[in-house]
Amino acid sequence: MLLDLDGITVAFGGLIAVGDVTFAMAEGDVLGLVGPNGAGKTTLFNAVSGLVRPTRGQARFLGRDLVAMPIHARARAGIGRTFQVPQPMHELTVRENLMVASRFATGRIDRERIAEILDLLKLGHKADADAATSLALTEQKALEVGKALATNPKLLMLDEVLAGLETAGKRAFMHTLAEVRQRYGLGLLIIEHDIETITRLCPRVVVLNFGRLIAEGSPDHVFNDPEVIRSYTGGEAA
Amino acid sequence: MNNSVKIAVFLALSYVAVPLALGSNTYVIGLIVAALTIAGIAVAWALLGNLGGMVSFGHAAFFGVGAYVSALLTLRGGWPVFPAMLMAGVGAAIASVATMPALRLRGPYFALAILAYAEIFRILATELKPVTGGAAGLLSIPRLPNVLGLDFGSKLGGYFVILTIVVAAMAAYHLIRRSAYGLALKAMHDSEDATRVVGVNSIVLKAWMLMVSAFITGMVGAFNAHYINFLEPDYAFAGQWTMLAIVSAIFGGYRTVSGPLAGALVVYLVDQLAFKPILPQGHQIVLGVLLGAMILFNPGGMMSMLTAKFLRKEASHAA
Ligand SMILES: Nc1ncnc2c1ncn2[C@@H]1O[C@H](COP(=O)(O)OP(=O)(O)O)[C@@H](O)[C@H]1O
Ligand SMILES: [Mg+2]
Repeated sequence: MLLDLDGITVAFGGLIAVGDVTFAMAEGDVLGLVGPNGAGKTTLFNAVSGLVRPTRGQARFLGRDLVAMPIHARARAGIGRTFQVPQPMHELTVRENLMVASRFATGRIDRERIAEILDLLKLGHKADADAATSLALTEQKALEVGKALATNPKLLMLDEVLAGLETAGKRAFMHTLAEVRQRYGLGLLIIEHDIETITRLCPRVVVLNFGRLIAEGSPDHVFNDPEVIRSYTGGEAA
Repeated sequence: MNNSVKIAVFLALSYVAVPLALGSNTYVIGLIVAALTIAGIAVAWALLGNLGGMVSFGHAAFFGVGAYVSALLTLRGGWPVFPAMLMAGVGAAIASVATMPALRLRGPYFALAILAYAEIFRILATELKPVTGGAAGLLSIPRLPNVLGLDFGSKLGGYFVILTIVVAAMAAYHLIRRSAYGLALKAMHDSEDATRVVGVNSIVLKAWMLMVSAFITGMVGAFNAHYINFLEPDYAFAGQWTMLAIVSAIFGGYRTVSGPLAGALVVYLVDQLAFKPILPQGHQIVLGVLLGAMILFNPGGMMSMLTAKFLRKEASHAA
């Protein structure tokens, strides 16, 4: 298994942000992770990438126990992620962001791959621009993906990289993601609100609500599940 | 002027012009050597502060350890001076490992913890009488050697040695800053999570910077011991080594490679030549005032101020 989560629970004080979540991905799988705001999706990413420590549960990545593994070691093991709110590395250019990722996750600066990623994400013309101050939203999101790709991941976790883009931008980005996946053959775990997008990208989806996994299966199956529909309409109203 | 021209001018001035012009004036050379000693610690302090993001109040610890290691290796172990000075750097770097638990502390807590370490090292040097000679100190520490007809034991010879240490430290600062390590360290200040999730082990990087900084400071301490041939705990671990270096680095601009050196020369020479004669007691208060003014009006320090002026002038020429 690429990623194997067993009963992952993250509590913040009394709040169960993620409650007893179990699912697995095989290498190269594309899995959608959906659910209303506050459902615990980002927290689950944080637990996998090491930024928060699960209160309970087991997590394995390519057979290795994740729970005791430090953040930087997870990146080196092949876990790449983006942030919902883009977090470029400050004071660095776009290219330098990718250089740091490449150097520290893989042990050497792979300039060829960096150039290829910049090209793929259409960031070539901004390669030497300051990452924190001179990028439009689409470009910031592309840089999030670029940093993660530069670590040479086997699993890429995308946290709402398409949110906030207009339809044309969304379509172009989806196209790019498909290309990325094909080129690098990696597994994708995608948080996304837009049902159409998810349906196009992901053959399989898991749904979280109040931290619990409430449904799992094909998009057709999941988005017709009454509990999922209720959670979404309830979530919107709240 | 581009960078390589600037570096060539600086090297020509410091290795040729200064010795030719002032070489026979042992008083002035002595003052410059003392200023360069401070400059060496200031560069090391700036490297740790700018790259590692850590403020240290305890660099006297590494200075003192370096001084004692080299003095003891030469006095008791019969080592030649230059290899002993390198080992002094290694010794100070090893001593810095003892302070590493403090790396998990942030900001002022780290600064204070490392100050406590300096005090602990001073007490150790005082109490370990059989090894260090205790409070009475070590006398007749071997002078810098005569190599191929060059007498490094003279004032001017000492000048070349400390100058070379400072230049090497500046080169190290520059090279680390533009390496992938430097980029990652820079990124860590404002984007720690983003930096860690791409594989950067921030604690290890900071530890490296601490070791490099301690190594340089230890070499400088060793130089000083062989230059003045005498050592006692209160002198080797004196807070003034840290204090003068911090004032110099901040005054000159610790985010630039040349700032700590420029700061040390100005601060030390102005202090000794201008303020000390007027105010034999408490002349260093004036330094504090100057530093305060610099931080208020130009927090980037003297070198960033000069560069900004220069850039403005070039821009207006271009317009
Ligand atoms: N560091 C934190 N401390 C306290 N509560 C948190 C923290 N991070 C997230 N939460 C809470 O956990 C719940 C899940 O948040 P999140 O994982 O961001 O949801 P989603 O990404 O699905 O919108 C929310 O109620 C949120 O307020
Ligand atoms: Mg979220």
